Amino acid sequence: MMLFGRRTSPATLIAFTLLLIGSVVVLYPFFYMIMNSVKPGREILHSPTALPSQITLSGYEGVFERLNILRLFRNSLVLAISITVLNTSLSALAAYAFAKINFPGRNQLFAFMLATMMIPGVLFLIPTYVLIYNLGWVGQFHALIIPSAVSVYNIFLIRQFMVGIPNEVIESARIDGAGELSIFLRIILPLSRPVLATVAILNFMASWNDFFGPLLYLNRPELWTLQLGLYQFRGSVPGENVQEIWAATAMITIPLVIVYFVLQEQFVKAFANVSLEK
Amino acid sequence: MANVAASQSQPSPASAEALTAAQKTTLFQRVRRGFWGYVFVSPWVILYVVFGLYPLLLSFYLTFFNYSFVNPEDQTFVGIGNWLRGLVDPLFWRSLLNIVYNQAVFIFLKNGLGLLVAALIFQVRFGARFFRTIYFMPVVTSVVVLMTIGTYLASPTGPVQELMINSGILGEPVYWQTTTWLPMPVIALINTWKWFGISTVILLAGMYSISPLLYEAASIDGASAWQKFRYITLPQLRPQLLFLLTVDIINGLQMFGEVYTTFDIYGGANNQALTPVLYLYAQAFDRENIGYASSIGLLLAVLIAVLTLIQFRVFSEKES
Repeated sequence: MMLFGRRTSPATLIAFTLLLIGSVVVLYPFFYMIMNSVKPGREILHSPTALPSQITLSGYEGVFERLNILRLFRNSLVLAISITVLNTSLSALAAYAFAKINFPGRNQLFAFMLATMMIPGVLFLIPTYVLIYNLGWVGQFHALIIPSAVSVYNIFLIRQFMVGIPNEVIESARIDGAGELSIFLRIILPLSRPVLATVAILNFMASWNDFFGPLLYLNRPELWTLQLGLYQFRGSVPGENVQEIWAATAMITIPLVIVYFVLQEQFVKAFANVSLEK
Repeated sequence: MANVAASQSQPSPASAEALTAAQKTTLFQRVRRGFWGYVFVSPWVILYVVFGLYPLLLSFYLTFFNYSFVNPEDQTFVGIGNWLRGLVDPLFWRSLLNIVYNQAVFIFLKNGLGLLVAALIFQVRFGARFFRTIYFMPVVTSVVVLMTIGTYLASPTGPVQELMINSGILGEPVYWQTTTWLPMPVIALINTWKWFGISTVILLAGMYSISPLLYEAASIDGASAWQKFRYITLPQLRPQLLFLLTVDIINGLQMFGEVYTTFDIYGGANNQALTPVLYLYAQAFDRENIGYASSIGLLLAVLIAVLTLIQFRVFSEKES
């Protein structure tokens, strides 16, 4: 038991074993997805739990031929990148004003903002659709981009971080004659990199994985995102395209899993709002 | 008043003078000095007025009318008729029952499993980071991917049921999607796979922040491992548990994608998977009842607010 050090108790060994078994269970759905994506279609239907008798990439080829997956990728990327860039920068801008610029009405505005954070999103669903419909934006990307261009929760997150930046840094820049915009761009943004990474990840994931928004507003196939495309594809020819469904599912998921492995500390911080650096 | 207090606490005349001078600046001057503050918050303010406040007011307004996209001119004022309609609509009640049923199972499983795994990871020193990475991974899957994988895994011919039949738990394959009471717990189970990693990392961070002195003192008093967990770990994790429950209820009651991608928009032939937001969607886009759909949203928002308040009340009572 060298591996665990000298003071390994039986309890620790049991815990370790249980965690290993649990890991297999948690990873199995990912394994099942990848296995099915390289399995011949009839085997997926007739022996769904068996390992593939042969590895085939025809599912992946079919995805390119029948699903136009490159267009779906491009649409998802355009949306996710636009929302991430806009939302992260505009939220940071407002957060800087709330954290470091003294202007009359600031505290009232901030208190109001906190109060509106509590309102459940379901209340906005129908009226926002009515508004976007009346603006004539249904069937256009900006129906999703503009309303997501800045958000209360992200302003709050970034502001909490920026409050911790020492005032002296900003004051000395002001004395040197720097304008607020250049202070924001040259001093505040670089110092806020950790929280900006968190907010960017939250934005990108929310947009990349969004299903309801594209379902409501992107009603033309040319505009479909990966999520909407996969959903429509799943329903189009039941049974026949099963292998392509799995290939598409894997192709949507694997990039995110890779990004997650690279940036896992930031992901955990973004979603759980905790740091596990002991 | 503030001036007097300031000069008393800071006897230096120079700083008192500076303070008086600062107070003499007019509101206009302060507004001018804060000019960039207004500029920087203005994108948010403008977007919030258009896509936040206006829809919020509109959501109340719409509930008072029968309104559809087909005939936008034809708006009939019905007062609070739409609210009352929700209160006597059996389908709306069915959707509430379904989602409460689903969330009761989901919240119990997700946080119970999250707590168990956190306790196990807390116990091991070697590999804690590795396990955390694995258990958190499902969080990145989207709802469409989640339900694609989940429904195949749970299907009558899928690996989960095969395993259960082989080990004698199940007699024959179950077509759970068409049963009355199985869709909700099965979806809760699928969602548990995706989300319990969040509970794990939040509770684990909480456990790491508990002072080791508490455990040492308990050990000296001869407390068992279970007693330490029950009387030290659990009470110390109360803030994290309250946070998790609050977020779960707010998000969970608004479930849509899970049922929309797996059932029809009325949640199946017997409405076995109808949730309030799915019903709202069906009323708005299938029945063209915009007013009634808004009312469903309002009623659900009220329910969420009430449940959240009750939760805070219960937790703060325990505190005292």
